[in-house]
Parts: sequence; C-alpha cells; structure tokens
Amino acid sequence: MLRYALTRALSLGLSLVVASVVIFAVIEVIPGDPAAYMLGMNATPEAVAALRGQLGLEGSVVSRYLGWAGGMLSGDFGVSYTYKVPVADLVAQRLWVSLPLALYALALSTLIAFPVGLIAAARRGGATDYGIMGATQLGIAVPNFWFAMLLVMVFAVNLRWFSAGGFPGWEDGLLAGLKALTLPAIALALPQASILARVMRSALIETLGQDYIRTARAKGLSRRQAVLRHALRNALIPVLTIIGLQFSFLLAGAIIIENVFFLPGLGRLVFQAITQRDLIVVESLVMLLVFAVIVVTFLVDLAYAAVDPRLRRRT
Amino acid sequence: MRLGAQLWVGAGLTAVFLLAALLSFAWTPHDVEALNIADRLKPMGAIYPLGTDHFGRDILSMLMVGARTSIAVALVAVGIGIGIGVPLGLIAAANRGSLLDEVVMRGNDLIFAFPSLVIAILITAVFGPSALNAILAIGIFNIPVFARVTRGGALSLWTLDYILAARVAGKGRLRISLEHILPNITNLLIVQGTIQFSLGILAEAALSYVGLGAQPPTPSWGRMLAEAQTMIYTNPALAILPGLAIVAMVLGLNLMGDGLRDLLDPRVRRARG
Amino acid sequence: MIRLEDLSVTIHGAPILSEVSLDIAPGKVTGLVGESGSGKSITALAMMGLLPHGSTASGHAWLEEGDVLAKTEREMCTLRGNRVGMIFQEPMTALNPLKTIGDQVAETLVIHGRATKREALEIARARLARVGLPEDRFPLGRYPHELSGGQRQRVCIAMAVALNPELLIADEPTTALDVTTQAQILDLLKRLVAEEGMSLLLITHDLAVVSGLADHVAVMQAGRIVEQGPTEALFRSMAHPYTRKLFAASSHQPARVAQAEDVPLLTVENAVRDYATARLGIFGQPGRFRAVNGVSFTLRRGESLGLVGESGCGKSTLTRAILGLDALQGGAIRLDGQEIHAGPHLDATIRRRMQVVFQDPYGSFNPRWRVERLVAEPFHLSPEHLPDRRDRVARALEDVGLEPEAMHRFIHEFSGGQRQRIAIARALITNPDLIVLDEAVSALDVRVRAQILDLLARLQEEHGLAYLFISHDLSVVRSVTDRVMVMKGGEIVEEGPTEAVFAAPAHDYTKALIAATPRIPADWQGEQNA
Repeated sequence: MLRYALTRALSLGLSLVVASVVIFAVIEVIPGDPAAYMLGMNATPEAVAALRGQLGLEGSVVSRYLGWAGGMLSGDFGVSYTYKVPVADLVAQRLWVSLPLALYALALSTLIAFPVGLIAAARRGGATDYGIMGATQLGIAVPNFWFAMLLVMVFAVNLRWFSAGGFPGWEDGLLAGLKALTLPAIALALPQASILARVMRSALIETLGQDYIRTARAKGLSRRQAVLRHALRNALIPVLTIIGLQFSFLLAGAIIIENVFFLPGLGRLVFQAITQRDLIVVESLVMLLVFAVIVVTFLVDLAYAAVDPRLRRRT
Repeated sequence: MRLGAQLWVGAGLTAVFLLAALLSFAWTPHDVEALNIADRLKPMGAIYPLGTDHFGRDILSMLMVGARTSIAVALVAVGIGIGIGVPLGLIAAANRGSLLDEVVMRGNDLIFAFPSLVIAILITAVFGPSALNAILAIGIFNIPVFARVTRGGALSLWTLDYILAARVAGKGRLRISLEHILPNITNLLIVQGTIQFSLGILAEAALSYVGLGAQPPTPSWGRMLAEAQTMIYTNPALAILPGLAIVAMVLGLNLMGDGLRDLLDPRVRRARG
Repeated sequence: MIRLEDLSVTIHGAPILSEVSLDIAPGKVTGLVGESGSGKSITALAMMGLLPHGSTASGHAWLEEGDVLAKTEREMCTLRGNRVGMIFQEPMTALNPLKTIGDQVAETLVIHGRATKREALEIARARLARVGLPEDRFPLGRYPHELSGGQRQRVCIAMAVALNPELLIADEPTTALDVTTQAQILDLLKRLVAEEGMSLLLITHDLAVVSGLADHVAVMQAGRIVEQGPTEALFRSMAHPYTRKLFAASSHQPARVAQAEDVPLLTVENAVRDYATARLGIFGQPGRFRAVNGVSFTLRRGESLGLVGESGCGKSTLTRAILGLDALQGGAIRLDGQEIHAGPHLDATIRRRMQVVFQDPYGSFNPRWRVERLVAEPFHLSPEHLPDRRDRVARALEDVGLEPEAMHRFIHEFSGGQRQRIAIARALITNPDLIVLDEAVSALDVRVRAQILDLLARLQEEHGLAYLFISHDLSVVRSVTDRVMVMKGGEIVEEGPTEAVFAAPAHDYTKALIAATPRIPADWQGEQNA
C-alpha cells in the first residue's frame, strides 16, 4: 500500500512539474514579451522596461521559471499588475467561495446519484428504471449555468426562498454561507448526478452479471444481499473514476456559474484579469486550478487502492 | 421497438438543428446583425415568430445562426480529437507497454488535468477571445478522450487470434492497425464521437456565456443567455429559448448516440434476434 | 435422496430440457455427461432455483423437504449453500476479487445464521484446511488474486461444503484446470463424498472423468437424458447410439501413416525467451522472466510432432517465437536452414512455408471480412498479384470439406467446427511445409474434434505436411503424433517417439502427467463395438 501510494505521489509531483512548465510556456514564452503584451500597443519602451523589472521578467527563461515555481512553493504568487496586491491574497479570499461550492456540488451529486443508480439497476427494465433513465437523459442535456438561471427565476424571483445571488461571507456563519451556495450547488450537481447515476447503474448491472455474484447466490444470499455485499463495492471502481473526473468539471462549472449568482469567487477574478491582461493573475490561477485537479486525481488513485486489493500489492 | 424509437427521435432532433444551421447560410427570417431599437423586446408574433431581444434582433434568426456556431465549433473540435487522438491511441496500443505507450498515456493524463475552461482561459489570456479559442480548447480536451477510447478498444482486439494470424501472414503493426483494428473500432468511435459532439455543444455554450467563445456580432446560444441574464425578471423568454435550443440539440445527439450504440453493438443486436 | 421427476425447462419459449428424470443417491457420485448445449448446466441451475431470466420450469425436483420447484425465493435462499452447495467451471472469476477468502467462506455460515462472524472465521479456517489450504500457508486474509486457479477452486469447494450440504453440484469443476490440478481436485471431491456422506452431482463433458469418479452416470443429449445406469454397466453395454458415438469420438484414433522423411525442416537450437514484466512508473526498470530456457529440437519434413505441457510451461511463448512473432534472446530457430527473425522483415518465402491454426474458433477471424478475404489473407506474402486467387480459395475450402460458395459468407454464419475448417483452409492456401496447430482442437466438442483430427490426418497425407501439435491434452497428442516433447518450466524434460514415451515415461513429470490423465478402464470397452 505504502509503495503504491509513493509511486502515485511521485507521478503526482511529476504531473505538477510538467503542468507548470506548460502553463509557464503559454503565458510567458509564447507571447514574446509579456510586459509589452500587458501594456498594449501604445506603451513606451521605458514603461515596458519598468514593468519588466517590476514583474521580475529579466533573466533567462529557465531562471524565470525557477523563480516563479520556487515562489509558488513558498506561497509567493507574485504581485497583481492591476490590483497592485499580492496574487496570493487575491486568490485566498476567492478560493474559499469556489472550492467549497465545487465540493458541495460533488457531495450533492454523489448523494443523489448513488441511490438513484442503485434503484434503477435493481429495477432494471421496469417502469422506475425507464423513468430514471429518461430523467437522467434530460439532466445530462441541461447546461448547468442555464439551469442555474431557471432556479433563480423559480426559487429566488417567484418563490423568494433564496436570494438571487451574492455571498455574505463565511464570517456570518456556516449556515448563511451554505445557504447562499445551495442554489448554485444544486445547479451544478443535478447534471453531474445524472451522469453519475447512469454510470452507477451500468456498473452495477455489469457487476451483477459476474461469476462471483452467481457464486454468492449459490451460497444462499438473496438478490438484495448479493447486491449489497458483493456487487456494490465492485461497481464502485468505475464510479470512482467518474467522480474524479467530475471534480474538474465541477470546478470549471463553479467558475462559470458564479456569474449567474454574482458570487465573489475565482471566476470573476480570472475573467477580469483576462480583460485587463493581468497575466500574472491568470498564470497563478490556472496553476492553482490544475493543481486542484491533479491532487483530486491522486486522491482517487488512493481510493482505488483502498477499494481494490489487487492494486495494493501491485509493486 | 423502443430502441429504434430512441434512435429516430434523436436523429430527428439533430436533423432539425442541422437543417436550421444549413438554412441560415442562405436565409434567415431577419438580418441577425441589424439593430432595430423600435422593435425591441417584442413578444412572439407573426413578424417575429419568437420575439425580439433588447436590440430588436429576431430571436429565431439568432437561434438559427447560433446553431451554426455551436455545431461548427463542436464538429471541428471532435475532428481535432479524432484526427490526433485516434492515431495516438492506435500507436500506443500497437506498441503496448513500450516507453512510447507510457508517454502517450501520461500525456493524456496531463491534458485531463486541464479542463476545457482552463485551456480556454490560457489561450484567451494570450491571444484574446475568439470562436477559434473555443474550438482549440474543446478540441485539445477531446484528444485524450479519443486516444483512450481507441487504445482501450484496440488493446482488446490485439489479443485476438485473428491479429496473430495477420502477423503470421507477415503484416506489420501499421498495416494491421489500419486493416484490422481501425475498422473494428469504428462503432466505438462513432458512439464516442456523438457523445463528444454533444459535450462540445455544451462546452461551447458555457465558453461563449463567459465571453471566451464567439464574439459579437456573431450570434451564439451561450452569449444570448449571458445577455438575457440581466432581464430574467422582465423578459424570461429571452433566457428560456436559447437554453431550450441547447437542451433539445444535446438531447437529440445523446439519444442518437445511445440508439447507435445499441444498433451497432453486436451483443445487443444478437439478443434482439 | 434427491430426485428429479419430469423436469422440463423452456427459455423464452424455446425448449431446453425435456422431461429429465434422475435419482441422485445419498453418499454417491452421480455423473451427468453431455456436449455443450445439451442442457446439463441448466439442469443444475434448475435444482438451485437460479435459472436465467425468461425461463419457465415444470416437473419436480424432490428434496427431503419437498419440491424445490414449488418453493418461494425466500425458501430457496435458506436452502442454497445450506442443503445444496454448488461450484462452477471458472474458478478465476468465481470469487469476489475484493474480499478475502476467509470472509467469503465465513459468509456462507453467517448468511444462514449458523455462526457469529468470529465463529464463522474459525470454521472457515478449518474448512479451508480440510480442502487443502492450511492456515500456515494460506491465511484467511489472502485475496483471490494471490491464489492459483486450482487453489481458488478449493476455496469455492470450501464455501460450498461449509455447512455440510447433503448435495454438492459441481458444474465442470476441472475443465479450466491443468491435468495434474484436475486430478487433485477430483481426488478432493471423492474424499469429501466418502468422508462426509454427501451426494455429488458431477457435470462434465469428459467421459473419462466420469468413469473414474461416478457411481451412476446419465448421458444427456439435446435436453434429454438418453441413457442412465450404474457407471460400469453403462460403459460396458452402451445401449444408446449417442453414448456409443460420444465414446467413440472421445477415444478416436484417426487413420494415419507415418510419413516423416529424415530431412530436418524446423530446427530450434538453444532457444531462450525472456519476458519483460510490468514496468513500474515511467522510469522504472521492467523485471525479467525467463519463459523459454534453452530449448532445442528438430522437426522433420512430413513429421507430426507433439508439444505437451501445462499452462505457464512456456509452450505458447515458444510457439510465438517459432512463428516469428517475438524475438529470441538467445539461440536460433531455422526453417529449412533459413533463420527466423521476429517482425515484419522476415522473408516472405519463409513465412509462406509455415502457417498456424489457433485454438479459439471465435476470435480467429476478422468479423468484418468475408471468408474469401479471410482465407486469402496469407497471400499478402506473395509478391505478385494472383489472378487465380478465387480458384485457390475455392480449392482450399473444398480441401477442408466446405462448399466453395462459403467464400461469400461472413464468419458468424459458421459453427465452431466449420470455423476451424476455415482456419485450416487459411493455413493451407500458401501450400506450406509446416502447420503449427496451437491447441487447435481444444475448444471443440468431442465429436467435432474427431472430425477435425481426421481432416488433419488426411491433409497431412495428401500434402506431405509437417505438424507441430501443441496441446495440454495428452490423449489427443497421443492419437495424432509420431513424436512428442514434454515441456515444463521453460525446458523440454522428455522427448521421444509418442508410443514409447506414453508406454514407458522416463521423467517424473511425464509420469505424473500420464498418471493424472483420466482414462476409461480398458476392459470396459470391449462389448459395444458389435
């Protein structure tokens, strides 16, 4: 197990390094001179040179990369050109909106999908199954940000159960924060839950056709016991893969859906930064998002090993 | 039967949008770029079947041209995914376990760490927003999807005896990949292509909604939604119609994909007689 | 006493079993023999109440407590694993890969409320030891993937007999196992029946297995029991023609004349083949495993040479090297003096002279091609375009006993035996000197197998072919080869004229293999050939 975890951790580190090189290359090497790009056409050479010095853009590409990467390791993400404050401070506040939103949605999606997929598989071919399959087919087709707009129309504008947007901040208490994130999380979670429920259903149906289920039935387990004691855990393996992939979709979705609910998350920061050509902010933010996705992939790998003994001893 | 119905409903919905998009090249009820403030925010009626927006533009015409944008972006993105991903997958499978295979697979994992949105953010930050960015962002994310599907399907075929027989007949890996492997995974690719097509429609809508996709004045479903957002209190129809268009198009593609999978899967076909 | 009375089963309306009646005596072994599709597995599943969806059963299956077919699902659950246990053919997939063997055996006890979890594990420990998996070498915490096929089948048996059922149903329990493992498992089953006083219903396609183990035999054909009786009496009389056919096919000896010339065709010198084991991470060094270790032999022109060994002995690896599919790490393989290299650069004229027939009649053909193109694929080796390609395909098909019109059809339109004929036609098309038969008849039912063996014998004579006959089945190798080699652990441990090796094996391993092969006693066979 330890050895498996170590090899996965090594691969995690490697992915982070390669990803950071790619991001660095796109932002700082491809545009030629980032300082000139950030200031636009009309900048004087003196202004460009000054900005270059301010951003630490002097020196070779390699030493700049090492400076940037080393800075991030020690929590220094550089200084935003437009806000004139450290990027780390900018990001820290907003991360506490986007990340909880994505995790909230992931939890909701999983909580909805598991029982729904289980019921559909258990009632395979019946009316309940057809109903669930139809509903999830529709759920997959709905763009989450549009669904969010519909939720605002119904629950905030007409029913007035929730506020139409904004975020009070976590200082006002956990519940107030969660309430503000509830409509966005539902909007994000339902389409993902539709996908997950379908994966859960087909994984279970596939597992139920395996020889060891027949063996279990021959031992005297009822159909229900065979599902709960043997099929469920085996079906979890493909489901875990999808949960891992969903996190990256949900994080991206959270950034988009913040627009609908006027949430002060990473989304607004990054889109403003793009408009203002604040490459330093974009670079750090993208690295942060990719970091989150890679770490979740790593956690999913560990979860595999917890579920599947065949991986633990594969050394 | 039900399976057939699914395919036909899906194909029908898809065909409606394809035809509308094609028709929009030659004719739309109104000019989509002409601003007509006098006719702004008209309800549905005879002149404007689906009403007008806050600039007085005809919603139906915009939806037709928007379909064109969506379909073009998603289709080219699928093309990029197939064009690069399938050869990579075939090569990786033909050299299973080699360093090349390992590099292709690790490269795939790396791209999976960059969701389309993140790729779009990166490209847009450096090159400025355009529909081309959306195509690139979605297309790059499609590469590992197709590479994986191809490699998985090809690997299971490589273990079969008829591949060994072809090797005994003296055929090389490339020729076997093209003659035996590729034709036998086309079903898989058609189904995956439909899925990625529908995901591409959704991704394009999301990107243009946040301003990373097609730019004004080119109409797109996502930007129509972004513009309608401030008016959901007063004119909810503006926010509902483009969304319905997206749902119907994606639903159509997904139904068609599922129907095709059932139709092309020999196991299902045999079970039906 | 368990009694089947007029048991009939239909699946989606199609009749599968018709009026099957069978008495299974307590403390005895009852054998149920038949070819694939004869309905023997469905009989067992009907008794367990585990018939597939869409099945309807009529008749009775009497147990002590009444008719099984009349019981509710809930009642059946208390019966299964408790009064009736069952084991299946494929031990590799029969166990849940995510649970330890201790938990899986203990589950039988816990489910039936016979023990607490802790007690159940104690009993599981004893049961596993009973089936030959003692605690010190096989702790309860082992997972199925850490065990071999034979060991997994022992776990399945321990699970099935954990509660001392009165009936154990074993559905082809040894078909997926090597012959020496098969002997051990059959031995274990026999001991359990004798010592625990339970009944065993042994389902198999192998007459020899039944003859060595069963007290009572029933022969099944197309959903009916055509003949049944005490084992020895049934074998001696063979009243039903189907039984006779089955018996004749299983001990079939194709008429063949030795025609080997004293000219070497294929020579293998000190062949060494190493495998790379899985790479660990992107920088990890792959490990090495030596699958073929210094093998040398000569195959003469027109000769039929057998290569026998159990799974993992290296025979498949050696075959792949001979076919030029994988490179050797040492030694050389020559066909008529020309060296065979791996890869597509191998000279076309050598390739043309050596063809192959594989085991799996279903995976051997591209499903999208017509038979004409399939059979003609080896023409890829001929540099010139052949104007008479279609005629040659037609001749090859006729050679293997098929209509030339078959060339216009797709492969899924043919049965397993016909497919094997097409595979042979594909091998014949280039007029080779040598055909490698890699378990070519192992997947076939006995009667089809006999026909294919006859075909191979005829073709050998007509075309002067040499065969390298690779198989795990000693009786088949014995009936069709001039010389035989026995392979174990990557090396050839014994080699010689087939009859001499079988009559007086020199190596211990050969002796063990021959002793483990089930055989119908020779003196049972005299009376039916009238």
